[in-house]
Amino acid sequence: MVKHVMMWLLPLFITAQTGEEIAKLVDERKTPKDMIVDLTMVLTNKKGKTRSSVLHSVSKDGGKKQMIWFLSPKDDKGVAFLKIEHTGKDDEMRLWLPAFKKVRRIVSKQKGDSFMGSDLSYEDMTNRELDEYSYKLLGQEEIQNQDCYILESIPKQEVKSTYSRHVTWVTKKDYNIVKEESYDRTGRLFKTKLFKQQNIKNYTVLKEIFVENVIKRHSTLLIFDNIEVDTGIEDSQFQEKYLKRLPK
Amino acid sequence: MNFAIKDWFINQALDHPKRTILISILLTAFIGSGVRWVVIDDDILKMLPEDIPSRVLWDEVQDEFGSIDIMFVTFGKQGQYAVNGEILAAVWDVSYALEELPEVDEVISIATLNRMDSDNGMMLISDLQAARDLTNYDVQDIASYLDRNPDIKTRVISRTGEFTNIVVRPFTNGDNKQLANKVITVVEKYLAGFEVHYGGQPYIMGKIPEMIRDDVPILMMAGLIIMILILLANLRSIPAVGMVISVILFSAIGMMGFMGWVVRLTGSDRFFFTLANVSMPIILLTIANSDGVHILTKFFREMRNRKDARKSIRTTMNALMLPIFLTSLTTAAAFSMLLTAPIKPLTGYGVTISFGIAWAWFLSSTYLPAIISLKKWKMDSKAVTHASFLERVIHRFGKQILRHPKRVLVTGLVIVLIGVIGIFMVEVEVNFVAFFKPGNPIRESIEFIDREMTGTMNMVVRTKGDMKNPETLNNMLAIQEYMEQDSEVTTTISIADIVKQMHRVVMDDDPAYEVIPDSVGKVNNLFTLYSMSGDPDDFSSLVDYEYRTGIITTMMRTVSTNRIADFVRGIELFIDENIEADLNTDITGLLVIMRDFAHLMIQSSFTSMGASLFIIFVITWIFYKSGRWGILSIIPLTAAIILNFGLMGFFGVDLSHVTAILSSLIIGVGVDFAIHYIAQFRNFSRNGVSKESISREVVDDVGYPILLDAGSNMAFGALIFSTFLPLQYIGGLMVFAMVSCSIGTLTLLASMMEIFKNNLYKT
Repeated sequence: MVKHVMMWLLPLFITAQTGEEIAKLVDERKTPKDMIVDLTMVLTNKKGKTRSSVLHSVSKDGGKKQMIWFLSPKDDKGVAFLKIEHTGKDDEMRLWLPAFKKVRRIVSKQKGDSFMGSDLSYEDMTNRELDEYSYKLLGQEEIQNQDCYILESIPKQEVKSTYSRHVTWVTKKDYNIVKEESYDRTGRLFKTKLFKQQNIKNYTVLKEIFVENVIKRHSTLLIFDNIEVDTGIEDSQFQEKYLKRLPK
Repeated sequence: MNFAIKDWFINQALDHPKRTILISILLTAFIGSGVRWVVIDDDILKMLPEDIPSRVLWDEVQDEFGSIDIMFVTFGKQGQYAVNGEILAAVWDVSYALEELPEVDEVISIATLNRMDSDNGMMLISDLQAARDLTNYDVQDIASYLDRNPDIKTRVISRTGEFTNIVVRPFTNGDNKQLANKVITVVEKYLAGFEVHYGGQPYIMGKIPEMIRDDVPILMMAGLIIMILILLANLRSIPAVGMVISVILFSAIGMMGFMGWVVRLTGSDRFFFTLANVSMPIILLTIANSDGVHILTKFFREMRNRKDARKSIRTTMNALMLPIFLTSLTTAAAFSMLLTAPIKPLTGYGVTISFGIAWAWFLSSTYLPAIISLKKWKMDSKAVTHASFLERVIHRFGKQILRHPKRVLVTGLVIVLIGVIGIFMVEVEVNFVAFFKPGNPIRESIEFIDREMTGTMNMVVRTKGDMKNPETLNNMLAIQEYMEQDSEVTTTISIADIVKQMHRVVMDDDPAYEVIPDSVGKVNNLFTLYSMSGDPDDFSSLVDYEYRTGIITTMMRTVSTNRIADFVRGIELFIDENIEADLNTDITGLLVIMRDFAHLMIQSSFTSMGASLFIIFVITWIFYKSGRWGILSIIPLTAAIILNFGLMGFFGVDLSHVTAILSSLIIGVGVDFAIHYIAQFRNFSRNGVSKESISREVVDDVGYPILLDAGSNMAFGALIFSTFLPLQYIGGLMVFAMVSCSIGTLTLLASMMEIFKNNLYKT
């Protein structure tokens, strides 16, 4: 009898993965060297009022170097943003203000500060370092017609984070993230994020992100269009002087 | 009243007393069982009508920008600068503990404020206080930032520098009482050892119901005890007083039960027990007391003559059934005029107290005579054989009045005319501070925050226009500058102030750039720059999501509504004369609403008073089949109303929504005396009392119960000792109404009827 049961359970043990293993597989997904994309950002407040902007983004090294130009609304056209992430020192961020004809450095001391008025914070925009979190597999669930692992990530004590934990739905098939819930330091559900992906040149890249700040009932929808990958952008393109030139 | 009905009532009570008592008690118990469904709603703001324009605007502003009513917690230590490590750690603890409260939307303090710095071409937005525990350098840095930004410093540090302010912004439509209590609990946990003051509308509105709950039961109980003692001293019979008190209590139980049943059956919030209903039980007690006092005094007088309890009670009820019915009907009719009141709870008040009056009449006409008839009365007791002190007083008093009726009438009319002059001196005014006695902790806290901080009241100017247009922003600044010239305004804030500050920061902290930029593009760039590191909600209390509407929030000391009315007029005039652009402005705030509300209530109260007098006149006319009785029945009441407002004018009592409502209630408690007097005059004139002695007999007969009724009801003057002015006013009004209506009846009415008795006798 025992033998019989073991025969049934064995495949489960063989295929089971730990939280750490899943997180590692997510981290190791193949990403493009650089990416050019048009972004539509729609912000919606709790009363359903919206603000929309269209942006043009050029990024490299998984977003560690990035330039964003505002194409619309009219009043924002020409405003441009440059970000270069550094390891071990503050990131470099600059903003071109066409009406003042000035470039201004900006610094966000808080990782939880909003990025460009959206519900995404700088922390949300930064790749999580694998060893800064502890992981736990909470279970499995089908979501958006895909079988997913439910992965819990808790920042280690020494890591400064605005979150106490994240619960992420990772597809079993290709380890893409389709949903994430992030909890604040008091343990309250803070943000819910939904992701849609598409395949371009053998890469799985984002097609749409929807983030809702559950507490403030404010949401952000980011739609990615006209995506180009591996275009060969040079590092030298990420300089202050290029901010002033609106791409055609 | 139909004789058959009257006889049926009397026969039921006297021929089947036990059955009548049982049925009365069972019915009272059944109706009273509705008490369990009485809903107590002590939110003052819910009483404000929702359709007055300033309230509509207020709701719109709160819907868009969040609550504009804020609570203040100010604390510190005398002789110590508030920006120090100990206080900042306490600010941190309290601020973050308050943010956890579900009622709190936002906390503004040194611990939660952002700072905006310019550093070598960099716009740095960071926390003003980065951590709970700070080094000396950090503390100095905060102090120096506040010194460089006096507008921000004014909001968080007191004039003397010894106190710091924590502003608590609640969610809209929250429970103020709950908020105030929870905030105080948090503060007491963290701020032991500091001098703490509270202020702001949510605090005042939250604490008032508590004060009323603390004061009313004690003072009402004191009033009831004094009432019992006065009745005992005069009736000199514990069972008799017990009977009166049982009618009073059963009436109150019936009324409250009725209120609960209506809520149960209809769900109507008009029948919730609100702060407006606080006076309701007191008024009912006096009315129910009146019926009982008239019956028992008449009964004892009859016993003195007839020496037969059964015959005495029958005679008493025969004489009093009609006047008691009539006084109940007129009083209920007067209260039903509250149905036209502009605030919901008062309509429920009118219906509920009318039911209570009807129930008091029912018990006085059935239960009371039944219980009197069951008691074995001692014919040799002092209560029966001896006239009481008040009886002797009225006998002498009556003699004097009827000896010189014309002189009494002229004197009375002169006093009323003087009252008319006083009416012109009445000021329409609502001042929150004046609601509390000097020395009251709430008043002291409000005065402290008014003196040391930004003041506890606020007002909002809503501006509609392009909030990124420099012209609009400059116009807002001009309005702010005009408002800040007023001595009661401590500070103003709008999105224009933030734009100015951002402009200066972007231009390398050059003070010359602390102005509105010269183009829409620049303003827009500033907002975009801010959004790169600031929270998207940072400006949500100043400008709407689409930058089409902004508000100027004005912090000010507690002032009266009259002062606010002048201030609002001044702003409107300034805008008309100086602002040319397409800028639509509206002004609101709790004080503005209170001003509009007070005017509405005063207007409604006067309408209600006029209508009540008319209804009393009509009812008396119909029952006595002559208009002259109708006119006579309202003369003492009219004189009392005139004197009430006249004395308010002379003694500087402001006419507010509270005093207006309560004054309109004077009719309810004051109408009885005249009707009893007229009823007995007619009764005596038809039963052979001579024209020469009729007034003397009437004064002797009804004068005593009128004075005893008035005297015992004056016991509720105990409310004068409340620390809350509106409750004091109920107490004062009770004393005044009793004195003016009883004396008015026994002087003005008695002298007039004596003078015109030839025209009135046997009519």
